Amino acid sequence: MLGQIRQKLIEAYLSKEEKSRVERALKKLASTGFDPWGVSPSTLMASLASTVWFYRRYFRVATHGIQNVPPGRCLLIANHSGQVPIDAMMIATAVLLELEPPRLVRGMVERWAPSLPFIGTFFSRCGQITGDMHNAKSLLENDECLMVFPEGVGGSGKTIFDRYELQKFGTGFVRLAMETKTPIVPVAVIGCEEMLPSLSKLSPLAKLIGAPYIPVVPTVLPLPTKISIRFGEPIVFDANPDEPDVEVYRKVETVRTAIRTELDTGLKLRGERIFTGSGA
Amino acid sequence: MTRARVLITGASGGLAEIVAEVLQGKFELVGVDPRPMPEGREFPGKFYQIDYRQRKMADLFRTHEFEAMVHLGRVPAAARLRKTQRFNLNVLGTRSLLDLALKYKVKSCIVLSTFHVYGAHQHNHLYISEEDPLLASQTYSEIVDAVELDNVSVAFSLRNPKVRTVVLRPTNIIGKRIMNQISLYLRGNMCPTLLGYDPMWQFIDENDMANAILLALEGKKSGIYNVSGEGVIALSHAIRLSGGNPVPVPGFLSNAVITGMKFAGLNFPKHLVDFFKYPVVISDKNFRKDFGYEPKSSTADALRALRIEALPDIPGGRAAPAPTTDSTEAAEEEKLQRTTT
Repeated sequence: MLGQIRQKLIEAYLSKEEKSRVERALKKLASTGFDPWGVSPSTLMASLASTVWFYRRYFRVATHGIQNVPPGRCLLIANHSGQVPIDAMMIATAVLLELEPPRLVRGMVERWAPSLPFIGTFFSRCGQITGDMHNAKSLLENDECLMVFPEGVGGSGKTIFDRYELQKFGTGFVRLAMETKTPIVPVAVIGCEEMLPSLSKLSPLAKLIGAPYIPVVPTVLPLPTKISIRFGEPIVFDANPDEPDVEVYRKVETVRTAIRTELDTGLKLRGERIFTGSGA
Repeated sequence: MTRARVLITGASGGLAEIVAEVLQGKFELVGVDPRPMPEGREFPGKFYQIDYRQRKMADLFRTHEFEAMVHLGRVPAAARLRKTQRFNLNVLGTRSLLDLALKYKVKSCIVLSTFHVYGAHQHNHLYISEEDPLLASQTYSEIVDAVELDNVSVAFSLRNPKVRTVVLRPTNIIGKRIMNQISLYLRGNMCPTLLGYDPMWQFIDENDMANAILLALEGKKSGIYNVSGEGVIALSHAIRLSGGNPVPVPGFLSNAVITGMKFAGLNFPKHLVDFFKYPVVISDKNFRKDFGYEPKSSTADALRALRIEALPDIPGGRAAPAPTTDSTEAAEEEKLQRTTT
């Protein structure tokens, strides 16, 4: 039954061209039609079918500089916002639909995600992997495109008053990039920060139940803000991956500044019109 | 020139039958097993029905001067044995076999462990390598015999470099002649799975596994090696390929379903339930590199081969006459299950 629903969804929302893009994005598949991380063309098409309407009609995503995503292994480093990872979905959809040749973006999900029934399985079927250094390395060694939000929950959970303020960056991604000689593409997402305006994180209560944050959001559904995604020039760090943390912090700062610059350019272009203005 | 003699333990099992066929042209075979040889099947060589811990075992080593030993005789958890009995058979049995091998100058030992020793854990990363920790007994103590068998063999190989010891950790072995729980499970029409979970699984065809053992026997290296098949597949798709229907069961009913399956003749070990939740995808990169291994049948074909075979007459490839688990221990085990899950 689920299979039929999935098939109907694909037929209703995906054009022939989009379907072929999905097939082209998946590189080597085993005789079973799966890649080792659990992605198959049919599952990926189903998840694309469920996001393509949001991508085109609801958030009317505009992109800038998408050809900066290089072929081969790469790390997409982006700002995180919006309480729920819609920004991740939109980046992945953009790279799948607009980049030539199309690519599947692998995201890294929280380590507890696999224990959630249905959700864990869904994540793995659309290319999302448990956030783990080991997994990240084997993906990059396989020349995949990996998306990382170094702000983590600090970014996605922030309130509307902190919009477009980059939070503290994790540093693991720079060392990972140096170890695997991976170019870093700074990505700025504009529009997701106002989508679900949170007034408070309710930190004490969240701490009590073990959640990272509990957003207080006056809207039920995400607001139909216009989303712009800007891809910056790839940055390559050609240095000893074993250098001390101090040096790594400096490189993290370089990436952070690059994202900041893209954000500022985009925000300037968009201005105050959060529902119509394009930052791309 | 006389051919080298090879001892095969667990000779009455399904895998041993195929391994013996592969090896018989090249080696002179001697088989041992505490179980009798199944009727209508003949071992290509001498066969002895003895327990590995018996003194007669030493005499076998004395008289035959084995060149190599292939230890396939791990008693699975599905065998209706007490936990302690299984532990003794597997761990102490393996230990005494390896000691005999050392004493009687056997040149190489191949030990068949299992990928179950890594344990299905939510934090498992993809491509588990031989260096990763063995987490299996962390959640379920029932599997400690398999972990200890592995440990005993690895420790032996480190302490005695003169005996070339290869510990193989294969993924799920499937095939028409294999009677392990996974093959029996996949042959069924209705295959219970856990509702909301559909982990990635790997399979290796019986012939590829037998070939891997031959490669390990003829190779030069020693150490621990993962062995897997060609591809990785979601469990529900694997079930469909082998001709069954996945029946998702909510987690809280899983114990009841496993008990029900026991009445239907399939004694599925409860401690493997996490393998239906989290993926354990192993990498056999090292084995391919060091021994030139390459699986011949694709995962899809291996699964389809199961479908063609009709259900075997006697389900449950359990080790023959063994006392049934006594009720107090079963209750105890169940209690443990509840506390750990």
